[in-house]
Amino acid sequence: MTAFMDFLTVFTQPELLLLVGLGTFAGIYVGAIPGLSVTMAVSILISFTFSWDVYPAISLMIGIYMGGVYGGSRTAILLNIPGAPSAIATALDGYPMAKRGEAGTAIGVTTVMSIIGGFVGIGVLALAAPLVSDFALRFQPRDYMLLAILGILLVGSLSQGSLVKGIFAGALGIAIGAVGRDPLTFAERFTFDFQLLEGGISFIAVMIGMFGVSEALLQLHHVNKDAVRQKISRIVPSLSTVKKHLPLSLQTSSIGVIIGALPGTGGDIAALMAYDHAKRVTKNPERPFGDGAMEGLVAPETANNAAVGGAFIPMMTLGIPGDAVTAIMIGALFIHGLNPGPMLMIDQPDMFWFIVGCLVMANIFMLIFGLTGIKLFTRIVEMPRSVLIPLIMLLSIVGAYAVNNSITDVYWMLGFGVFGYFMRHYGYPLGPVILGVILSRLLDDNWRRAIISEQEDLGRFFAGIFSSPLSLVLFVSVILIFVSQTPLWTKAKARIFSKERPRA
Amino acid sequence: MEHIDPEHHDGTSDATPGGERDKRRPGEVFFAGFLLIASVGLLWSAWGIENPFGPNGLSAPRSIPVAATLAMVISAAIIIFKTAKLPLDRSETLARDILPVTAVLFALFLIAYGVLLRPLGFLPTSALFLIVAIKLLSKRGWLWTLTVSLTSLIVIWLIFRIVFSVLMPAGIVPEAEFIQLFRGLIRGGMAQ
Repeated sequence: MTAFMDFLTVFTQPELLLLVGLGTFAGIYVGAIPGLSVTMAVSILISFTFSWDVYPAISLMIGIYMGGVYGGSRTAILLNIPGAPSAIATALDGYPMAKRGEAGTAIGVTTVMSIIGGFVGIGVLALAAPLVSDFALRFQPRDYMLLAILGILLVGSLSQGSLVKGIFAGALGIAIGAVGRDPLTFAERFTFDFQLLEGGISFIAVMIGMFGVSEALLQLHHVNKDAVRQKISRIVPSLSTVKKHLPLSLQTSSIGVIIGALPGTGGDIAALMAYDHAKRVTKNPERPFGDGAMEGLVAPETANNAAVGGAFIPMMTLGIPGDAVTAIMIGALFIHGLNPGPMLMIDQPDMFWFIVGCLVMANIFMLIFGLTGIKLFTRIVEMPRSVLIPLIMLLSIVGAYAVNNSITDVYWMLGFGVFGYFMRHYGYPLGPVILGVILSRLLDDNWRRAIISEQEDLGRFFAGIFSSPLSLVLFVSVILIFVSQTPLWTKAKARIFSKERPRA
Repeated sequence: MEHIDPEHHDGTSDATPGGERDKRRPGEVFFAGFLLIASVGLLWSAWGIENPFGPNGLSAPRSIPVAATLAMVISAAIIIFKTAKLPLDRSETLARDILPVTAVLFALFLIAYGVLLRPLGFLPTSALFLIVAIKLLSKRGWLWTLTVSLTSLIVIWLIFRIVFSVLMPAGIVPEAEFIQLFRGLIRGGMAQ
């Protein structure tokens, strides 16, 4: 019963309601404007909501997250430019529809389907998270350690580009996270005798640099690309259309939740898998896939929104983020003094139910904003990049400064911005860096706990792993990811990948 | 249907894959070499971390840093080896595709912003930055540039100051007095 009251918190406080609404609204635009990403927005926002109470801050960020995942579909349909990675599959059929003049229908269907997917995801989160956290209480420190490694490796291997680069990025993140005085022994690590480094590097500075400034610098290459105007008519889809696709949408939502809940996999992978699934199960689409099939919209859009709820499961119950955005959300919870993990569900169940409430609210707002305000939308999306880029840069600087009122953080942020710019150019994924920074502490603590409890004996440590089914599964998964780098596996993977992304 | 070009850098991916898969971009080997050298340096530094309370065993403060930097060194070595084997992409140049003048210029602007922020204060520095940056990128008239940059600055400042209560260095602008003055005016207006 108290859980239900906590769930209702957001509905009963107009201020929180307003913030979720604002966040969702902003998220839709952030997701839609190519060049602005949800990761960027949430990382910058963390620094501004730093001084707020935890409830309002979380409300705003959840709105942005939810809205952003959906918003990416808009530009995918209208311009064939996915506004977010999770909308890549949406462009495959959405853009052909828009070219035929059915942009309105495409947006309408996308909106309704996103909401269905979103609710399925939230439902599973509400049911599964308490169970998972009960189970997680039995996790040994070594399991946490393995989970953290697994998460970083998965984010590295699943993003396009090579796993070696992903491993490098993840390891770099762990090293960055270790800078400063070691919390256990107070030994200096990577400080090079600079007093400035003793407190460590602010992970917000790293985040804003990598996702804000580096992105803005890259955008400079494309200042003069024009937006295409599209005429949009009716967008509210007919009930029969929704009914017709309901069975498929429920299937693809389930795919979305499961993929989202796996550490390291998020909405983008979920959407591609769902698209592939839809292609296999739809026997007679009205139009062929890739040519504007409605099913090709339904599948990725339900899946990527369902993945949001899924991604919150490992984040809330284990403290292990599924992708870059959830890594940043964990950072936000840390900053507000919360410690995501199984204890959060026990110590502060109110927080969990509040977050579920916010997600539900954000989903409702998504429906409202998704089906209205299309005129305003097309105007904002046409905002020239010559204005957008300087503004992102300004916001990044202010954001980096605001957390600690420190100019050093601004320099760190700029340094990581430039570094991230080169990393992006040369195909190094940035997600694992952030995951590494966030998980560094957890990894370090749990490794030391695990090895001390085995009396510093590696043999006993491995014996422990092999005697527990859970540890064994995690350990084998980590090994499998490495094995997947051998040439034989790379070939198999290439075959699977070309199947998933038919014409991309 | 058209091909989704990952090179558009539209924020579509966290890891915008650089260039073509089977080609090496200009400067890529150099960057990989830099990463390798930096990783070796960090590994060296990590090895030097001493446990003040006992032996440097497996649970010592150096263990995770050493493991992480060792992973960096090994992966950086593999990356440099793999990259060097690829043929160079002749269609790209360093000056045009990797480090165009605008990118370098903006990086310098950002550094200048950081340097000027404390002494000049948030409002003048940001105004300068926005005006120069927008003028340069949009190549439009002064009136348009000034209107757009100053309006957006005011909006941003109001949002920060009032909604997020972020305090930026005031510098030469007596911000606090302004706000006090406004508050006084509003209160005065209410009293009437």
